[in-house]
Amino acid sequence: MNGTTATAALSVANLDRSFGGLRATSDVSFDVAEGTITALIGPNGAGKTTLFNLITNIIRPNAGKVLFHGHNITGVTPARIAAMGLVRTFQTARVFPGMTVLENVLVGRHRLLHAGTLAQMLWLPHTRREERNLAAQAEALLDAVGLASYRDTHAVDLPMGAQKLLEVIRALMAKPRLLLLDEPAAGLNDSETEELAALLRAIRETGITVLVVEHNMSLVMNVADQVVVLEAGAVIARGRPDEVQRNPRVIEAYLGSDATTQDFDAQDSDAEEARP
Amino acid sequence: MTDFIQLLVGGVLTGSIYALIALGFSLVYRVTGVINLAQGAFCILAALTCHSLQAELGWPVWAASLGGIAMTVAAGAITGALTFVPGLSRLSNANMLMMAAGLLTMAEGGILVLWGSQPYALPPFSGNRPVEIAGILVPTQGLWVVGTTLLTIACLWYLLARTRLGRALRACAENPAAARLMGIDVPRMTLLAFTLAAFIGAVAGVVIAPATSLQFDTGRLFTISGFVAVAIGGIASFPGSILGGLLLGLVNHFATAYVSSLFSNAIALGLLLVVLVWRPSGLVGAGVTRRQDVREEARVWKHVVRLKPPVAWITAGIALVGAALLPTVLPEGAILSSLVIAGILFIALLGLDILMGYAGQVSLGQAGFMAIGGYTAAWLAVEHDVAPLLGVLAGMALSLVCALVLSVVTLRLRGLYLALATLAFGLLVDSFAIGFSDITGGPSGLVGIPSFAVGGFEFDTPLSMYYLVLVLDAVLVLLFAGAIRASFGRALQAIRTDQMAAAALGVDVVKCKLTAFAISAMLASLSGSLYAFFFHFLSPEMVGTARSLELVAMLVIGGEGTLVGPLLGGILLTMMPAVFQPLASYKTFFSGALLVLCFLRLPEGLFGGAVAGLGRLFRSRQAPPALVGEGMAP
Repeated sequence: MNGTTATAALSVANLDRSFGGLRATSDVSFDVAEGTITALIGPNGAGKTTLFNLITNIIRPNAGKVLFHGHNITGVTPARIAAMGLVRTFQTARVFPGMTVLENVLVGRHRLLHAGTLAQMLWLPHTRREERNLAAQAEALLDAVGLASYRDTHAVDLPMGAQKLLEVIRALMAKPRLLLLDEPAAGLNDSETEELAALLRAIRETGITVLVVEHNMSLVMNVADQVVVLEAGAVIARGRPDEVQRNPRVIEAYLGSDATTQDFDAQDSDAEEARP
Repeated sequence: MTDFIQLLVGGVLTGSIYALIALGFSLVYRVTGVINLAQGAFCILAALTCHSLQAELGWPVWAASLGGIAMTVAAGAITGALTFVPGLSRLSNANMLMMAAGLLTMAEGGILVLWGSQPYALPPFSGNRPVEIAGILVPTQGLWVVGTTLLTIACLWYLLARTRLGRALRACAENPAAARLMGIDVPRMTLLAFTLAAFIGAVAGVVIAPATSLQFDTGRLFTISGFVAVAIGGIASFPGSILGGLLLGLVNHFATAYVSSLFSNAIALGLLLVVLVWRPSGLVGAGVTRRQDVREEARVWKHVVRLKPPVAWITAGIALVGAALLPTVLPEGAILSSLVIAGILFIALLGLDILMGYAGQVSLGQAGFMAIGGYTAAWLAVEHDVAPLLGVLAGMALSLVCALVLSVVTLRLRGLYLALATLAFGLLVDSFAIGFSDITGGPSGLVGIPSFAVGGFEFDTPLSMYYLVLVLDAVLVLLFAGAIRASFGRALQAIRTDQMAAAALGVDVVKCKLTAFAISAMLASLSGSLYAFFFHFLSPEMVGTARSLELVAMLVIGGEGTLVGPLLGGILLTMMPAVFQPLASYKTFFSGALLVLCFLRLPEGLFGGAVAGLGRLFRSRQAPPALVGEGMAP
């Protein structure tokens, strides 16, 4: 273990995973420094979500390892990884159906509760107290993202954007040290994306490290401290947002080999295809 | 050696019957992803119709057989169109399985009403004298069965592999969503598959009928045999179903000959459990894995049923006082006894609700734990003079052990396969209850069970039992309400719908499932013990598969995931025959029909419906602002 991994919240080393003949990720390595926001970007099919699944061990890597604050978590069960403080959200919002918005948020704290099932059955005072404190915190978080008035709504009745926000604060309830967000801005409109950017900065303020997969470039350039670019399962660039934005390989990956820096800035690829 | 070959021939003959029923299962499963438990009902319906046409109207065998098949196919098509096809678009696969169980119960009840409970026998097609081939005796009806099986397999193969219609059916099986996009009318194909399965079942029923005795509940036996066969062989494959059927027939015959007829079922079920652990999808895997996820998207989630705490407390208080005062206005008699039974069954229902309603783990074998609790407590009390309370605790401990052993199988399974394993467990316990006749009294039951007693006080009247059960129910509801409204209940509900997301939040999925399963087993055991003490008698059919299915019906009718709702279902189904005496014989039919109706029309059950009604009544306080159109822009 070298000097950088000791301070890194997350250190991904040489991760490999193939599905049949397809190499979904090959030799992926990068570090996420503690207390920063790192954005993981790349074209569709670049392997971003696969990488998330490999880090949280929902899919097992063929080779390589994942260090979380210096601990090797390769092969540890998803539930144990969450219990260590690495919490993730999913690409399509996965709120729990059949439960209200408030109850969904409360599930987030599950791993940190002390009251046992037996104590809950006996309605012991400390379990009641714990539940009350928990509900108060959950409502404060709901309030912060503007969902307080929907606390008793069936969670799946929320619009998609609100479900994604709900998933983020549910993950926050788990008091993560590192938060993995998979496309949190998908399905959000511009003003909601602004709110999300503010929320991400507020999360960083509290000392939580964030790794986010995102397609919305303005959000990425706005909030990320570091950007990692994946293409076809391999890391092709990493660095500060403005560095990555000028990187010829990144521009090529997004727009094809003839593109220039201006094309990337203008996002003008439609004109190419419209030509007969 | 001749004996061995004779057994082999017998096994193949029986096995081809199972294979024929198994084919029907497989056909519906391949097109819809649902195990249609009503498959056996088609057999018995066709067989009894055939009998009536012969005996009442004097039709010749061939005409009566064709008539029976035609009527069954018509009944199957109507049932499919009214229940099965609409259900597919709004129910999860596990709920479809239970709706099919409801259809089976409904058919059983209907047959009970039309034909009564006496056994029927049909004459063989070609006389009683067996044919002798190289020293081996083969009953002629056996040849009819094997011939019909071969012909059916050939026709089915031709239909599916060589015709346009067959291609459309196979497309539905592999990917219904894509099939729909290709212009295939999926609901129509589903109905066709269901009707075709009814046809296969009816054909099987008509040729099997002369080889077996027929009764209103024979359909359930057909279903179970075919189902076990298909589960062993591999439900997604036709060769697998046929292989499973033949294997089951051989196992049954050899086990009967070399071990004991009492345990031949147990051996077959043991085989099934081994297959489920070893290869959950059966011995023969499907060429193409069915895309379960394609249809799961169509699942519609029910509304959340929540009473505000003050309302809940007040309602519970009023209900409790009402229940305590009820015996003062009721004459001591059938109605009070029925209430006691409903209260006892509610204990098992509480456990089932935690397991199924909250944790989403399907169980079709809950009565197995009732049997363990009932027989343990009763046997200890009758044979060893053990105090009832100790017997109850011993039963609960034994149930806990069995639940933990069974969980080795069930923890790895979900949905259909879990339902299968629990059903097999219930049947296994049932066959032990019949087999160990020294302990259980065998099929005729265990008699002379004393009343329940604590210290010196005997609960020997319905009234004293009523108050005992009332207090017990109230205490249990209070205990579990405490856990359900806190983190335990939330973790279970999270697991019910999305295990992966729950695990990603640090919920220990295995521990939660195990806890829910252990709780449900112990509560069912307690319920079974009290049931035995109340009746002073316990027979295998009181705690058999019919009881397991009835518990599921009560749960769904009352309202899953509501804790107290199942009591309404329990009271409704238990009281009906007591209150409306003349309608007692319709009980089974109504129980099945109500289950199907609830799944289609009132998925939140009676309790959920009542709460929603109350909610509409008191809709005055700040309703949340409308959500439409918000956050939809890209």
